[in-house]
Amino acid sequence: MSLTTNDFDKLVHLKEHALISIETLGQFQMTRESAPVSNKEWGRDRTLQLFQFLLTSRNRRALHKEQIADRIWEDVAGKSLDQTLKVAVHGINKVLEPNRQKRTDPKYLIRQGATYRLDINDLFLDVDAFETFIAIGNQHLTEDTTLSIASYQEALQLYNGVFLPERMYDDWTSSERERLQLMALNTIVELSELLLETNPAESIRLCQQALQIDHCWEEAYRIQMHGYFLKGNRPMALKTFKKCEEVLEEEFGISPLPETKVVLKMIKEK
Amino acid sequence: MAKKKDDTVSFVLRFTQKIYETESGEQNVQWRGNIKHVQGEDEKRFAEFEDAVTFMQEKLADLTIQGIEDKSPKEQKGILAKNFELWKKMTVDSPKLVLDALKDPKKQLSQVQAQVSQIGDNITQRIEDRLGQRLDIDEWRASSKSDHKQLVEKMDELTKQLADLTKTVKKLSGKKK
Repeated sequence: MSLTTNDFDKLVHLKEHALISIETLGQFQMTRESAPVSNKEWGRDRTLQLFQFLLTSRNRRALHKEQIADRIWEDVAGKSLDQTLKVAVHGINKVLEPNRQKRTDPKYLIRQGATYRLDINDLFLDVDAFETFIAIGNQHLTEDTTLSIASYQEALQLYNGVFLPERMYDDWTSSERERLQLMALNTIVELSELLLETNPAESIRLCQQALQIDHCWEEAYRIQMHGYFLKGNRPMALKTFKKCEEVLEEEFGISPLPETKVVLKMIKEK
Repeated sequence: MAKKKDDTVSFVLRFTQKIYETESGEQNVQWRGNIKHVQGEDEKRFAEFEDAVTFMQEKLADLTIQGIEDKSPKEQKGILAKNFELWKKMTVDSPKLVLDALKDPKKQLSQVQAQVSQIGDNITQRIEDRLGQRLDIDEWRASSKSDHKQLVEKMDELTKQLADLTKTVKKLSGKKK
């Protein structure tokens, strides 16, 4: 799908004006009409768990009740599953649409037979926006660097930490957490490279952010060395290489790549 | 009925590929890995896949030890020995499987697909031989849990009927003699 400046503007507008905003990166928080939804409103943890699972599965088609049980409620089956699901679905609808008229269809949580899915089109969901901003940035990388930089910056503003940290020990969240973390790392590195010549200080800051996520990310050390060099801070550039060398030796038992050594050579020679 | 959560261990495995030219101008590839234990927060970096296997083995051994705390020493010994055998096999086979996949992922994938298909065909053939009719296995390859349960129940029923029929045939042939 081709994304334009228009999509960028729409997303920025939605971020500011959406009726419901959901934050999943760094912490889980839902805001309805600018007011945070309290834990008490979610009621049972299973209600919140189902909602978060449907958010995690947003790119899939509707989920059958047994698929839901298989992944998040292994201890529930049969009639008990129907009852648990009914209570959780009711709880989600109550949080999303507290003023919905009786006998009207829910707007966000769509049920068809025994399958369920979330319609997130009118919601602002941080992970969804994060991915879209990155996609806009990637698509315009060659012909509109300014838009790419702005999109990457918007995306990284949303990445406030790992996906659903409260569910760190639930394996249904781990692949999504890993996928999003890799996207964040690659975007940080891409943006720091784009800003290297014009704003080496910001480039260095971004590399430090990447290294906080993964202290073995060699590209981040390399760009940081370059950034310090451009700022005229040769000692810090050399110190960064030393740190990179130590970390790679300690964690993998390997040396930095020749590409990184080339940057070191350039710093030493000039 | 369901698995207890404590009986499940999951890992997230990350590989990063580095293709580079050595100082002598030779093309080289390096793999850097990271394995995370989902339920425990521990993680390990590795450049050799064996290290990841060892990490998994340690976590699974911890789980087995927790799971057999209430067993007798004799039972514990038996379970641990079986576990060890499984891991000995895994430690030998898995790195080779991964290395083969890294060398030629398409070939490896098609080999696995061929194996799965072969197993599927063998099962189909065996069921068809027993039932005396053709089965379309593709129809239930993507079956739901309840379809699967129903299928297993039907199979059990058919097996019993077959056993009863065999008995009757034996009786009848005995009478004839």
